[in-house]
Amino acid sequence: MNLYDLIVKRIKEGQIGSDGPVTNVSTSAMLTAEITLISSILVVLIMLRLVNNVIMIVAFLVVLFAALVSMPLMPKLKREQNDSLSNMTFYVILALAIVITLFYWGSLNV
Amino acid sequence: MIIDTQLASLFTAGALIVIGIFAAVFLDNLIKKVIGLAFIGDGANLFLIAMGYKPGGIVYIYLPGMARDWFAQNAAYPLPFALVLTSIVIGASTMAVMLGIIMVLYKRRGSLKASKVLGE
Amino acid sequence: MNLLIPLMVIVPIICALFLNLLHKKDRTVKVIAIALALTLPLLPILANYGLHYFGGYAPLAQNSAISAGLPSLITGTALNTFHPAITYAFQDAQKLFIFILGLVALLAILVSLYETKRPSGVYGYMMFMGVAAMMAIILTDDIFNFYVFFEIAALATVGVVLVSQIKGNYETALKYMILGSIASPLLLLGIALLLGVTGNVNITDIMASLKSGVVDPQNPVLLMACGLIVFGWLYGSGLPPFHTIKSAIYSKALPHGAALLQAFSVFTFVALGIIIIRIFSYLPFSQMVILGVSLLAMILGITMALLQTDIKRMIGFLAVGELGYIGIGLGLGTVSGITAGLFQAVNEVVITAFLFIGFGAIYYQTGESDIRKLGGMMVKTPLVALLVLLAGFAMAGVPPLNAFQSKLMLIQSSIQAGVPELGVIMILLSIVTFMTFMKAFHAVFLRPKPADLEIKNEKIPKATILALLVFLVVCIVFGLFPQLATGFLQNLSVSLAGGMP
Repeated sequence: MNLYDLIVKRIKEGQIGSDGPVTNVSTSAMLTAEITLISSILVVLIMLRLVNNVIMIVAFLVVLFAALVSMPLMPKLKREQNDSLSNMTFYVILALAIVITLFYWGSLNV
Repeated sequence: MIIDTQLASLFTAGALIVIGIFAAVFLDNLIKKVIGLAFIGDGANLFLIAMGYKPGGIVYIYLPGMARDWFAQNAAYPLPFALVLTSIVIGASTMAVMLGIIMVLYKRRGSLKASKVLGE
Repeated sequence: MNLLIPLMVIVPIICALFLNLLHKKDRTVKVIAIALALTLPLLPILANYGLHYFGGYAPLAQNSAISAGLPSLITGTALNTFHPAITYAFQDAQKLFIFILGLVALLAILVSLYETKRPSGVYGYMMFMGVAAMMAIILTDDIFNFYVFFEIAALATVGVVLVSQIKGNYETALKYMILGSIASPLLLLGIALLLGVTGNVNITDIMASLKSGVVDPQNPVLLMACGLIVFGWLYGSGLPPFHTIKSAIYSKALPHGAALLQAFSVFTFVALGIIIIRIFSYLPFSQMVILGVSLLAMILGITMALLQTDIKRMIGFLAVGELGYIGIGLGLGTVSGITAGLFQAVNEVVITAFLFIGFGAIYYQTGESDIRKLGGMMVKTPLVALLVLLAGFAMAGVPPLNAFQSKLMLIQSSIQAGVPELGVIMILLSIVTFMTFMKAFHAVFLRPKPADLEIKNEKIPKATILALLVFLVVCIVFGLFPQLATGFLQNLSVSLAGGMP
C-alpha cells in the first residue's frame, strides 16, 4: 500500500496502542534499554538550565510523567525503527523538514 | 519581479525537485520511483547551471579578435558548466546501478511493486 | 608542490582499475592488491605537508609571474587571493587520518583476500575505489570535489554490499540508493546556493569572503545552504534518520567489507563536519544542531544496539552511537573538545574495524551471525576470544586502551565548557555499550555450544589473526601515549575553535 494509507493506518493504530509479545531472551536487554532511554532523556533535559530554570523543572516533570505513563517505550521505538522503505522515507522527509525549518525560519526569527 | 531566464530556471528547478520527491516517496512502482529520483537530480543540476547566468552575457569561448578586457567583463560565469557536467555523469551512473539492481530483483521476485519487493 | 599528495588518491584508483581488469587471475590479483595496499599507510608518512593545486595554479597574490600582466581590475580586488584550482591541503591532521584510513584499508583488504575462497578482483575494485574516494574527501579543500568523491564512495559502498551474497543484500542496497538519491541532490543544491552567493567552491575562499564582508554573512540564502548541507551530512555519516539503513548496510556486507564501510562513514562525518564548522560556525544554531543530532545518534544507536540479535547489526548500531561521541566533541567548540572529538574518531575507526574483523572470524568459521544460534566458540578459538574481549573493552573505554583516553578527554572538555550533563550521558552510555558487548560475547563464546551449530571452516586464516594483533597494538599504543595522536590534531583544533563564537 502506498505511504498515505500507511500514515492513516498508523495514526488509527497508535490511538488504540497495540503491544507485541516480548520474548524471554531479550527481556533484560529491553529493560536496560528502557531505563537507559528514560534516564538519558531526563539528563538531557537538565541541560535546559542554561535557558531558564523554571522551564527546565516544568519540562523535566512533564517528560517524567509522560514516560512513566506510557512505560513500555522500547518495543514501540524498536517497531518504529524498522527496515521498510516507506517508514525510512517518512522519517527522512520529516528530518529534512525539521532541519530546513530550524535553520531558515529559526535563524531569521530568533 | 522581472521574470528573466534565470528566475524561470530557478522556479522550474524547484518544481522538478518537489515533483521528484513526491514521486520517490509516494509512488509504488520501482521504476516510477527511479524516474522521480532522476527528476530530483535534474532539478539540482538546473539550479546549479542557472547560477552562472549573467544578464547580457556572452558565451565564455575566447575567440581570436576579442579584446581581452572586454571578454573578461562580458562573459557569463564558466564554473557551473564544469560542475554540472560532472554532476550529470554521476547521476547517470547512479541511475544505471539502481536500474541494474531493479532488474535482478524483478527476476528474483517477479514484481515491481515497492511494497512487495522492499516493504517486508 | 609535493608530488606524493595526489598519489594518495591516484594509487588506489589505478590499483582498483587493474584489479577489475585482472579479475579471475587469482595470484596476480592477490599480489597487486597486497603490494599496493601496503603503500596506502606508507604514503602519508613519506609525504611533506603542503598544498597541491590540481588543474590550475597558486593564487595570484602568490604568483607574481602571472599577475604582473593582469589589469588592476582583477589584481586589486578579492580575486587576487582566490584559488583558481582544486586545492588539496595536506597538514598534520590529514596525515593522521589518512594513515589510520590506510592502515584499516590494508588490513581489511588483507583479510578479504584470505577469507574468501577465491580473491575477487571486482570486490578489490570496490574497496580500493572507496578508499581512494575517502582519501580525496579528507584532503580536499573544494566543496564540489568533496561532493564528487562522496558520490563515488556511496557507489563503492553499494558495490561492497552487492558482492557479499548475504540474503537480502540487493534489497538493502536498493533502499540505500533510493534514500541516497533523495539526499545527495539536496546536498548539491546546498553547494549550488553557496556558489550562487559567494561565487566560489573553494572553502578557504568562501571563509575569507564571509569574514571580510565581501558577502553578507546574514544572507538568508546562506541559512538555507547550511540546512541543506547539514542534511547531506546526516546521510553521509549515518546519523538519524539514516542510522537504520546504515546499520542494515553493515549487516549485509561481509565483515571485512563492513570494517571498511564504517571507516568511510566516520571519515565522511569528520570531513563534512569540519567543513560545516569552518564555513557556518558564525550561525547561532549550528553548534546546537551538531550537539542535538549527536545526542540523538548516541541515545538511539546504543539503545537499539541492545535489542539486536544479529552481531553485525549490533556492532553497526554501536558504531552509529559512537559517532555521537565524536559529534559532541565537535559541537562543544572548544580547543580541547574538538581535539578530543577528532581523537575519538581515530580510535573509533580502529576499534569498530577490530570488532568487525574479530566477530567476522566467527562468521568465517560457522557461517552464522545470529547470537541465538551461536555458542561455545571459546573452546574452538581461545586466541580470537581473547582478542575480541580486548576489542570490547576498548570500545567501552577500559584503561589502558585508546577509547579510555579519548572519552576521558571528552568528559573533561564538556565539564570545562560548562555542560557536565553531557559527561554524565557519555558515562551512562559507555556502561550500556559495555553491557551490550558482554551480552554478545557471552552468547558467542562463553555459553555451551548448541547441538546444531556446524563448523564450516576449521582453521582461521593467519591474515585475520595478524590483522587483529595489529589493531590491538594500535589500541594499546594510543591508549598509553595519546600525545602521539593529539599532537597531530592540535593545529586543526585551534583553527576550528577560533572561528566559534
